[in-house]
Amino acid sequence: MGLNVSELIEALPADLEPTQSLASDASLQAMLQELAHRPVPVGRFPRLWALGTLQGKIAAAYLAWFLRSSYASAEKKEEALNEAHLKAALKLLGTMGYLRGAIMKLGQVLGAYPDVAPEQFMEVLGRLHFEAPAMHFSLLRENVRNELGDDPEALFADFETEAFAAASLGQVHRARLPESNRAVAVKIQYPNIARTIRQDLENFKTIMFPMRLSGDWDNLREQFTDMVTTLEMETDYEQEAENLRIARLAFAEADEIDVPRVYPERSTRRVLTMDLIEGLHLDDFLATNPSQEVRDRHGRQILLAAMKLSYGSHLLHADPHPGNYLFQRDGRLGYIDFGCCQRYTDQIVAYLEEVEEAMLRSPERLREALIRAGDLTPKQQQDAARLRLMEDWCDWVAEPLRYDGAFDFAADSYLQRGIELYGELVRRRYFRSQPINTWMTRQLLGVRLMLHRLGARVNMKEIHERVSG
Amino acid sequence: MRITESAKLETQQRIVTAARKLFVEKGFDATTTRDLAAEAGIATGTLFNYFPAKEALALELMLEAAAAARLEVAGRDAASGGLAEKLFLLVATEIRHLRPCRGFVKAVLETSLSPFASGEAESPGGRYRREHLQLLERMLREHGAEVAVATSFIALHLYWTLYIGVLAFWAEDDSPNQEETLVALDQATRLFVDWLGSAGSQPSHLPGVVKE
Repeated sequence: MGLNVSELIEALPADLEPTQSLASDASLQAMLQELAHRPVPVGRFPRLWALGTLQGKIAAAYLAWFLRSSYASAEKKEEALNEAHLKAALKLLGTMGYLRGAIMKLGQVLGAYPDVAPEQFMEVLGRLHFEAPAMHFSLLRENVRNELGDDPEALFADFETEAFAAASLGQVHRARLPESNRAVAVKIQYPNIARTIRQDLENFKTIMFPMRLSGDWDNLREQFTDMVTTLEMETDYEQEAENLRIARLAFAEADEIDVPRVYPERSTRRVLTMDLIEGLHLDDFLATNPSQEVRDRHGRQILLAAMKLSYGSHLLHADPHPGNYLFQRDGRLGYIDFGCCQRYTDQIVAYLEEVEEAMLRSPERLREALIRAGDLTPKQQQDAARLRLMEDWCDWVAEPLRYDGAFDFAADSYLQRGIELYGELVRRRYFRSQPINTWMTRQLLGVRLMLHRLGARVNMKEIHERVSG
Repeated sequence: MRITESAKLETQQRIVTAARKLFVEKGFDATTTRDLAAEAGIATGTLFNYFPAKEALALELMLEAAAAARLEVAGRDAASGGLAEKLFLLVATEIRHLRPCRGFVKAVLETSLSPFASGEAESPGGRYRREHLQLLERMLREHGAEVAVATSFIALHLYWTLYIGVLAFWAEDDSPNQEETLVALDQATRLFVDWLGSAGSQPSHLPGVVKE
């Protein structure tokens, strides 16, 4: 491809202001007027402009390049309209200060590897991470007052004024419950941030989608849908509280898995009070140079957690990442952050059982089971390459489930194959016909990735047989 | 018979109490001066001896609320927090105390607190502005903001513009618990402190004059 980053930046619209060709597009005009007057909700003034850094400009330039190459074959008049929409989209992107960190990271990657394919760019886009600005204690106090009816100092004992962790669009503070002196973690969301992001994403869609684009445009649309779904999940702490309640019921004491209890009288949609679990996140844990025995023990716990939730509670922890786990001093696993979960419907459970049965015991029925589970159209069912890829993916998933003894998740070859297969599936959007499959694919890879980083060796077959009954 | 000072004060207080009650019960627009006088047990003409217009009464209620807010702020831990947080605390606390006044803040902003109001020091609007800005100046000095910049006409004017802007935003904010105002205030205070920081680092060509 040979993209030159400097040339890309040169090709960025100079002023990011709409051109005269917008005059006839009344709805777009109205939206831009509204954008011009709306207060930018986040960030400090000199850095409100998310594209202000070189990395930000690289990310924006890449998006512009990709979109332009998608409409290059359009008629001249459509090209002008598309260009106007593009400028409007970049202008809006610039005001999304909560994406600044993610845009910078994206720009960093693109700057270093300018030949990354647009589909990969879209996949990264789909995982863009929202960050709220930090709340000082005075803002937090007003926020908590609005949510819980009183100051945090009145509702809790020893409420720490400094946050000890960031959360999705908020931050977490240590405190104690006055009635029991129990240590709790209080997660608080930045005010109005969820509503702002939702509106911005809707505006973005409105600006972008009338553009006459070809090729991977559907991919972008789906990534947007994913972003909105993720946003809805992560910003609804009441739903997260319910997920935590379900998860707590799934584990016995002997499982050595601790899920925090929620205190509903001090929780709302934007404030979540739960048990404080102390422990190390993955990187810090690995820095202690743990023994193989300890790694394996935690690996068993991670797998057990994922499986018990899946089989027992029909709950999919949709985005497993190191931030969800705490490695405790006594060897137990802390399992926190249930903001991104999906429930399986009975129908989905039936499909999954069918696929799993075929995967492990009746391979001749696998194709048929995948067609049903994926809800494939007749045309898709004729796509041999598609079916082959899905079968290869299942094969990869099943490999540790078929293995007698402790499977070595540290092996690079196993993980590499999984990443390649996953990349192909995403590129070709093979699981999009049944949205839950996208989340599940991510979960399957995510858990194995955790085990790989942990360097764990686990008898997954034994755990699976025990849990799935 | 001459009316004593204490009698005058007592009448004034009855009028303010009447306003506090009726502005909430009936709404600011629907409350007439006749209503206010009747509630206070005085003649309508007498009312105008104390308050020339309804808006002046509204401002009096706001002055009371702002004074209560400043007492609360003074009681908070003075040691913690940066300047932006301190400013946020001041304005957010005022807004919370001003909640019963939200229905008529706009009317006051359009009159006594309008940027075009004469702002004479002893007018009610002038008093509101003076009391607020005195507290601001004290905060700025305590935080070591370079005195010339911090107390310059430009700095105080910029701050006052932001403050009135936030109040106006709040008056029309229909988001739940007016949470958008919290965000706007967070932005505005950071903006002002950033500007103060950058303005203070340059050779000062700003007049070191405090303007009332």
